Amino acid sequence: MLQLQNENLLISKTLSELIQSPQLVDRIISDFDYTTFHLTTPQDENNLLISITSKSFKDLSKYNATNELNVIYEEFKTDYIEPGYDYSIQLNLIEISNKSQEERDQIIKDISLLKRHLLAIPFYHAFKVYNSLAEEYTNSGVEPEATNEIFEIDYRDEESIYIQPSFDRVTVIFSTIFKDETDKVFGKVFLQEFVDARKRAVQNAPQVLYSHKEPPLEIRNLIKFKADEKKGYITFVLFPRHLTVQKQDNTISHIQLFRNYFHYHIKCSKAYMHSRMRFRVDQYLKVLNRAKPENEEVARKTASGRRFLST
Amino acid sequence: MSFTTTPAVVMGFAGNDSPSFVFPTAIATRSSAATKAAPNKPVFGSTSTSSQSNFLASKRGTEDLDFFIGDEAIEASNGQAYSLSYPIKHGQIENWDHMERFWENSIFKYLRTEPEDHYFLLTEPPLNAPENRENTAEIMFESFNCAGLYIAVQAVLALAASWSSSKVVDRSLTGTVIDSGDGVTHVIPVAEGYVIGSAIKNIPIAGRDITLFIQSLLRDRGEQDTSLRTAEKIKQEFCYVVPDIVKEFNKFDRQPEKFAQYIVETTRGPKKTVDVGYERFLAPEIFFNPEIASSDFLTPLPTVVDQVIQATPIDVRKGLYRNIVLSGGSTMFKDFGRRLQRDIKTIVNDRIAASEQLSGGTKSSGVQVEVISHRRQRNAVWFGGSLLAQTSEFNSYCHTKQDYEEYGPKRSFKIKYKHLVDKSN
Repeated sequence: MLQLQNENLLISKTLSELIQSPQLVDRIISDFDYTTFHLTTPQDENNLLISITSKSFKDLSKYNATNELNVIYEEFKTDYIEPGYDYSIQLNLIEISNKSQEERDQIIKDISLLKRHLLAIPFYHAFKVYNSLAEEYTNSGVEPEATNEIFEIDYRDEESIYIQPSFDRVTVIFSTIFKDETDKVFGKVFLQEFVDARKRAVQNAPQVLYSHKEPPLEIRNLIKFKADEKKGYITFVLFPRHLTVQKQDNTISHIQLFRNYFHYHIKCSKAYMHSRMRFRVDQYLKVLNRAKPENEEVARKTASGRRFLST
Repeated sequence: MSFTTTPAVVMGFAGNDSPSFVFPTAIATRSSAATKAAPNKPVFGSTSTSSQSNFLASKRGTEDLDFFIGDEAIEASNGQAYSLSYPIKHGQIENWDHMERFWENSIFKYLRTEPEDHYFLLTEPPLNAPENRENTAEIMFESFNCAGLYIAVQAVLALAASWSSSKVVDRSLTGTVIDSGDGVTHVIPVAEGYVIGSAIKNIPIAGRDITLFIQSLLRDRGEQDTSLRTAEKIKQEFCYVVPDIVKEFNKFDRQPEKFAQYIVETTRGPKKTVDVGYERFLAPEIFFNPEIASSDFLTPLPTVVDQVIQATPIDVRKGLYRNIVLSGGSTMFKDFGRRLQRDIKTIVNDRIAASEQLSGGTKSSGVQVEVISHRRQRNAVWFGGSLLAQTSEFNSYCHTKQDYEEYGPKRSFKIKYKHLVDKSN
């Protein structure tokens, strides 16, 4: 598995099971970045309530998250929001099970993408700003003096995403924390690979910059948390070719999982290193086992302690 | 969040009523020309891994991420490109490379969690080697940086699962666990959260033997369909335990409606009907009278349980008799617990009567025998884990990354059940 999937496998699995045979459930399903789903059947087994809570929701609600989600999940929207959660949708399983197979699959897919849709909202907003700016300034080619609004999402403790639309690009900056020293080193090597890839082969890729400890200039005055040895900042520069209407969905899906993808690969690299280490230890052990002295010379002595003369 | 690594991995989140994923611990890795060229001859025992790792050292791409786990692995191995292997054998992890990648995939792909944010509860079979536990801790902390880890013994979790039964009043971690899965049945005495290793007994009769026994009965009668699948379905749907087989035979003769019919659904051809007769009660009977199915193991389950308890220190025996807990799919037969309780009681009462006679008139205060069955038996271990992990105290019993870095895997993994016992009382 090279890339993390956007949809939540467990939600789609649970949903397809429930649509086939409704039953009373009360389940918690997790997702990255302190996101939790809660699947319950509050009244009877045919009415399923799906609630989501996410660390980033506080920031997202600035961008009208609830309404935006209501547009996407029009069919299932409900005014009720489960206490302790940020957003809820209500599904009538009987209605869904009466639909055709394709429609059902589509619904399951949509719902398993709930988290993706939620986190995509500020990106769409930023892209909209980019579009209007682009229309205004492309012809003149001069960057406006006024700094543009920066979209800020605190998606984890002390880790944030910053999105800055501009007239010819959109800059996305991730701040991330490396809990472990080794992780930091792996992270650096891994990101270097990103930078090199652009130089070598993949010219279409967005530009990636990495700075450690020092935040990039764009967001320097936004940093709320104190500078820390463990912190790193990764900047993506999305060019107009990534922002076309056809491509923007894909861009958002990929970029919003970047932090998880990044940490996942750090862990995979470690696992890979470990298997190399195990292999090496195995080999050394084999060498050690072979390294036994042949025909060991034992000094023979008589009872009184005199040696035999060796011939 | 908790995992159980028995032949099948069971995983899910704390507080849920059922596990999120249950799938076999299979991993399908991309097999290349290099591995095929070197046939894995078991010469040194490590040849198979070395040929694979040779290949590992030479690769530079992302091949190490090209693999599937669980049901997807089995599907992928049908094709040419992938080869299937099982990193866990007999409850022990054999291939750590594969296991590490198995965890990697299950955490990120299936559970979708950042291990740094979560506490993990893993389970181990009783009598697990400490090296295994240390290796596991090493992987969980070094590779995954998980926030906290707790490794629990399966039997202890099965005991905790029984707290959901209404019969349990005092929530103790003392009891005898009868864990019967597909291959082997274990009888494990647990005293205050500690497994009494010297007294554990295994019985080679479990789910698979029952299925095979049903199959042989079907074959003897010459039924239309005698596949293993059919036998298994009959086992799950029709079998139950009776107090007395002779009476039940008579009952069957008098009431023909007791004979059931099982309809085999086939994708092609007409439906087949299989008559289900005496095997309804005979099949589970092999636990109590093993001689009807097996020729080499002849001790009935109640006797084994009694022997196990008699092998433990004398001061815990009463507690072990009072709390006999069932776990695993093969203990799900109707009235299994009731029959077991009756049989054990008979053995115990006979012994008490004999000793009373020998001592000449002193009266025993009696031994209470109670077999506890509950609705969560099938995934009892998982459910017990879920139950323990959702208690607010759980996080404080976990070994944290700091502990690990401070003390290393060896010292930080002394078992800390004492806390669990204190909490439950």
